[in-house]
Amino acid sequence: MTFWQRLRRLFRPPRQLKITKLGRTYLVLTIGIGLGALNTGNNLLYLVLGFMLSIIVLSGVLSERAIWDIHIRRVLPEGAFANEIFPLRYEVTRKKGRAFALKLREADGSLDAWAWVPLISEGEPLTVRADATAHRRGPHRLTKIELSTAFPLGIFEKSRLIELSDLLLVYPKRGFACLPTEPDAGRQAGDGGNPRLRDGNGDILGLRDLGDFEDSRRIHWKKSAAVGRLVKVEREREDRKQFTLKVDPGLKTEALERACEETAAASIRLLSDGHEVGLQTGARRIRPGAGPGHERRLLTALAWVGFSEEPPP
Amino acid sequence: MNLVARRKLRLRLRDMAAFSAFIAVALSGTVPIWVIGLFGAGWLGSMLGWRPLAKRPIITVVLLLVTAVFLFGAAFRGLMDLVVSAVSFALLVTTQRMLSEPGAATDQQVLLASMLLMAGAAALSGEIWYAISLLFFGIFGCLALGLAVIEGPQERDQDLPVRPVLTQVMIGVGVALMGGLAFFILFPRLSWNMAARRTPPGVLGGTTGMSDRVRLGGGGTLKTNARVVLRARLEPDPKDDQLDRYWVGRYFDAFDGREWKGSGQEQPPRARVQVRRLSGRYLMQRIELLPGYESRTLVGLDSPVIFEAATVIGTSGASGVQLIEVSDEEVHFAAAGNAYTYSVSSKPPTGGEVDAVDEKYLALPAAIDPRIAELAKQIVGNETGALAVGRRLETYLRTNYAYTLDLPGELDDPLADFLFVRKAGHCEHFATALAVLLRTQGVASRVTAGFFGGERVSDRYVVRAGDAHAWVQVFVPGTGWVSLDATPDGGRRNNSSVLLATLTTWYERVEQLWQSRVIDYSIQDQVQIVRALVRPPEEATQSSFSLGKVPKKALLASALTAFAVLLALRFLMRPVRKGPHPLASFLDEIELRLDRARVVRERGEGLEELAARLERTAHPLAKPLGLAARHYLEARFNSRPLTKQERTKLLAALATGQVEQGQARRA
Repeated sequence: MTFWQRLRRLFRPPRQLKITKLGRTYLVLTIGIGLGALNTGNNLLYLVLGFMLSIIVLSGVLSERAIWDIHIRRVLPEGAFANEIFPLRYEVTRKKGRAFALKLREADGSLDAWAWVPLISEGEPLTVRADATAHRRGPHRLTKIELSTAFPLGIFEKSRLIELSDLLLVYPKRGFACLPTEPDAGRQAGDGGNPRLRDGNGDILGLRDLGDFEDSRRIHWKKSAAVGRLVKVEREREDRKQFTLKVDPGLKTEALERACEETAAASIRLLSDGHEVGLQTGARRIRPGAGPGHERRLLTALAWVGFSEEPPP
Repeated sequence: MNLVARRKLRLRLRDMAAFSAFIAVALSGTVPIWVIGLFGAGWLGSMLGWRPLAKRPIITVVLLLVTAVFLFGAAFRGLMDLVVSAVSFALLVTTQRMLSEPGAATDQQVLLASMLLMAGAAALSGEIWYAISLLFFGIFGCLALGLAVIEGPQERDQDLPVRPVLTQVMIGVGVALMGGLAFFILFPRLSWNMAARRTPPGVLGGTTGMSDRVRLGGGGTLKTNARVVLRARLEPDPKDDQLDRYWVGRYFDAFDGREWKGSGQEQPPRARVQVRRLSGRYLMQRIELLPGYESRTLVGLDSPVIFEAATVIGTSGASGVQLIEVSDEEVHFAAAGNAYTYSVSSKPPTGGEVDAVDEKYLALPAAIDPRIAELAKQIVGNETGALAVGRRLETYLRTNYAYTLDLPGELDDPLADFLFVRKAGHCEHFATALAVLLRTQGVASRVTAGFFGGERVSDRYVVRAGDAHAWVQVFVPGTGWVSLDATPDGGRRNNSSVLLATLTTWYERVEQLWQSRVIDYSIQDQVQIVRALVRPPEEATQSSFSLGKVPKKALLASALTAFAVLLALRFLMRPVRKGPHPLASFLDEIELRLDRARVVRERGEGLEELAARLERTAHPLAKPLGLAARHYLEARFNSRPLTKQERTKLLAALATGQVEQGQARRA
């Protein structure tokens, strides 16, 4: 943290107060009634003025009571794509008393997310969902949550910042993969190099003897034991191919974003078609693979492209 | 509570807040009846969920504009008070909003318009009802806003418990009211309360029946009316709970057989009217005639001499007013208003003032029943002297005639009917009979209308509408006019029900408190409060307290007691420090032995995991450590106590394992 940041933090007011539309009219009315009371000396106007001023003070006290002693924990989503609404959850806890009409908002500005807590009771953690949107891919350092309330009367909105650090990785925007992708010349893993490859992942098509250099993982051990020789399982889908997608990290800004989006879209399409997809982003290389876990690995790698921080292992 | 129920409750609360503000305005009695009718209908429709203006916003806005032009036009042409027209318009705006499509913005507009109504009502009314309306407006308005706040930016159809919200808002409103009172007391007053209309006409109208004639016939329903119409502060204060005195309003001298009239001459208006000479001690009265009085005639305790310092309270505030004397009949205000205040000085006639009066006080109706004169002669007998004749006739009527309010029907000769047929009547019958009987005997008399009695409330006397009374004044040469009352004792005061009278007395007490502590609260009161706070009470200063007079032993004892209390408080409020868990030392011992054996625990590795790891490597400490770990964890988390012997044994086993490890290493 720089000196200026520290200084700014030191002088930052602990609470922020915003006047709502209703509050503005209320204040104008209060000033008007106050002037009327001063001008005429009418004690009933003073009585109304006193009540209105008291309501302002009360709003300050009750709103402070509402946002005080609130503990929040972010529950980050499994996957979030840029420019798409994703659920961001908050677990809100209060140790003492009840709180009403709380609004949670990400205060960093990189995310559009707010959640509403109408009521929270003492000692009962409450999980609320925010429909969040991230406008760019990559890692988002979430550091602050703005906790605000208009309780009790909606005249003022009092807020406080809660320091809470989390890292949210946003995958590239899901675009369209229109360009054809060339499959790899040869298999890079398992028995992919074998011309007699028949190891699809569909239903069982039949059994045959295991040939030389064929992958021993395809052996049907029960049948092999029964017949006394090694027997291999052949499955229906035999058209699985391997693709290695490439993103040039030297690309800049818009071009890099587009490349990442297209690659993400292509990888999702190819994986859903049943192919194995690998990725090469400069020095980083992911071997071809399939399945939801692999898809997440690819999207994570694409999310990190162009960012100086190292992705988690 | 689901969303629909919450919305319904919120709208009801909103409408109730608007209704409270409406009541404050309506009770001032200044708003046109058609505006009140429109609001009432609109409010009822809104409470029933009827929203006819939801789809017609443009038409209603145009109508509102037309109404605004009409109302403010009337105000600028002087046909209507400006505040009244503004309040009327605010009422119509509130009605329009209530009947529009409900929503957060509409609700807020209704409440803000209602707040304007409350401010307007503050300028139009000064009665205790205003405080009650403000209280209810505050409660309902805050609850409605509180319910709206928990809905958030978007209404969601989910069940929410509203009771905690309403409870907290209610507590908040209570605190706000206390705070409001504090603000009210402390907010510096820079001007006097000149604009307050403390006595609005109200909605009940006048009820005293004080008119320019007294007509026989009909019942006396007025006597049952407990409404307070007059307040008076007397100087010197008689301090009696019940005042058995007559309040004179008007004299009547001409009787036509059916009704009494006055025949005085109107004098030019003056600020001060003196009806006769005043000397010696007199009784000063500061009188307030309330809206229920509804007459311009001034009243004063028998016998009023000087009327002065009169103000009239109208729709636009209080102002001075001149007085018109109608000679030998009454004094009335030159201008009409809702209420009046003035001062009267009274002094009973002391003699030597007048020796003769006009012949008109002896005039009898043309067609008088001859039996009346015969009756008078029969009662009076040989008695002479005006006062003696009067007393005899007064006693006769009191003892032989009954008091009743049940007198149905119109009669040709009500006096003869009273004297010879029914032999029962109310105060007007008794007064008429006495005056006519006196005149038949050549004694000058007149009927007087006003009030009898007065009830002490706080430091003032109040007179009710039912205290209205009529009696007779007889002229005594050399003395002047002397009051005689033939009405039996039970018929002089008001005959209202005890409950009603008690309630109005209590209301009067609260109203007086309200007037003195709120309406008339001024910078002087603030100065007194501040003085009371910054200066010790006078008694304390007079007692000349000095520290030197207090015995030293007492001072020492006080200081010691204070010190002991301080110590006790500090002890009670000391922070409770939790010491280390008793098993922590056992864990320390285990870790110490592990350190000695050079067994390094990995980061985050528990004792169980460590034991399992040592087991895999056939470490000599694996078994003793596993046992120690199991006992420790059971004692720590499963409430299985660890005895001293077990502890010693387990640590000894660890030590043995340590030795074995050393031997193995050496080997």
